[in-house]
Amino acid sequence: MTYSFDWGVLWRYREQLVGGFSLTLALSVLGLAGALGVGVLAGASAESERRWPRGIAAAYIEIARNVPLLVHLYFWYLGLTALRLPAFWCGVLGLGLYSGAYVAEIVRSGLQGVPAGQRAAGLASGLSRRQILRHIVYPQALRIVAPSLAGLFSQLIKDSSLASVISVAELTFVAGAIEGDTFRTFEAYIGITVLYLVAVTAISQITLWTLRSRIVEPAMQY
Amino acid sequence: MDLSVVGRNLPYLAAAFALTLQTAALVIAGGTVTGLLLGLARDAGLSAVRGAAALYIGLIRGTPLLVVVFVVYFALPALIGHRFTAYQAAVVGFIAFIAAYIAEDVRSGMRSVPRGQIEAGLASGLARGQVLRLVVLPQAIRRMIPALFNQFVRLLKFTSVASVIGVTELTGATLAVNAREFKPLPLLTALALAYFLACYALSLLGRWLNRRYAIAS
Repeated sequence: MTYSFDWGVLWRYREQLVGGFSLTLALSVLGLAGALGVGVLAGASAESERRWPRGIAAAYIEIARNVPLLVHLYFWYLGLTALRLPAFWCGVLGLGLYSGAYVAEIVRSGLQGVPAGQRAAGLASGLSRRQILRHIVYPQALRIVAPSLAGLFSQLIKDSSLASVISVAELTFVAGAIEGDTFRTFEAYIGITVLYLVAVTAISQITLWTLRSRIVEPAMQY
Repeated sequence: MDLSVVGRNLPYLAAAFALTLQTAALVIAGGTVTGLLLGLARDAGLSAVRGAAALYIGLIRGTPLLVVVFVVYFALPALIGHRFTAYQAAVVGFIAFIAAYIAEDVRSGMRSVPRGQIEAGLASGLARGQVLRLVVLPQAIRRMIPALFNQFVRLLKFTSVASVIGVTELTGATLAVNAREFKPLPLLTALALAYFLACYALSLLGRWLNRRYAIAS
């Protein structure tokens, strides 16, 4: 091995790295908000008793999931150039709509995980459909999906690296720039890997912790 | 929308689609084998092997695919003194990446086999390797089908990332055609449709295999 390391390069480029890291976090948080909005709506519609919402939700989920994220991003960035959306918002839209399909699947499995007998019991004891969803189904479903949601959030942070391809100056883009300036390829990519690891670990712990502490224990099953 | 631009470039795009499918098949095979070995190493008897596998899996699962591909293509040559072509780097990167995810699926599949069966196998005189090969793996693999096919579909989508380091698979080829013709909307729609068909077919195959081979639990 003839390569000599120079980790000081990370310190010299600290400002760019911090900027890239903040942009990665901003992309992830906004993408996540979009994914949750679309995903909860699509997931609940997919479980609806009416045909139209069910069909539309199923079509959205299948299409969004079976097309690569990179193609989602290019679609907003290149395909819809007429809209003149800034690259950052193309990234948010692409990430949100792509991950939304996964959120929908998680929501669906959470709703299905609540035993049917509990809805029947709710109806029998005189609650309205809305009350049943709010007081019986959702609190338990949230607990069921907590680990999958935590996994999805960390996935989203990692996926946001693809926004560098449509020229959003997030973390991976910054690493490429540092590499271009200094040829310190290894240091740059290992440096951002550590930052991604920190973000991913933090976000999944925070998600698990907030969801666990805010929701009820699942009801006993007979 | 005028799709004639797709028709004009069909031979080129079809060849690129074939490369995408071929790459996906290659990394699916490579990733499954590597992931299986890694999953076994993660539960190995030797604690050093176990620790190394755990470290690798944790590191990869916290890193974006794009960064893994960049490390293999740009950074590894400086360390090992061997330069991969873009295509080789993409394939190595995809396999190295997905193996960490498949390893975890392998582990949970193996754990789904009841302990009593392993003990029964050992008690009836099978060696540990035989218990693994004849009792645990056949059942574990059948239980792993849905999880594995999830990863396979992910891999098929991931192959698009190879375009970023200059491989002209389907995404790279479509962008190249777009650079000449500048008809982004029809080209990207056709691109999305091609991936959709391939991924959907792959997940249908997974569902069919699962219906056929799943073990009722």
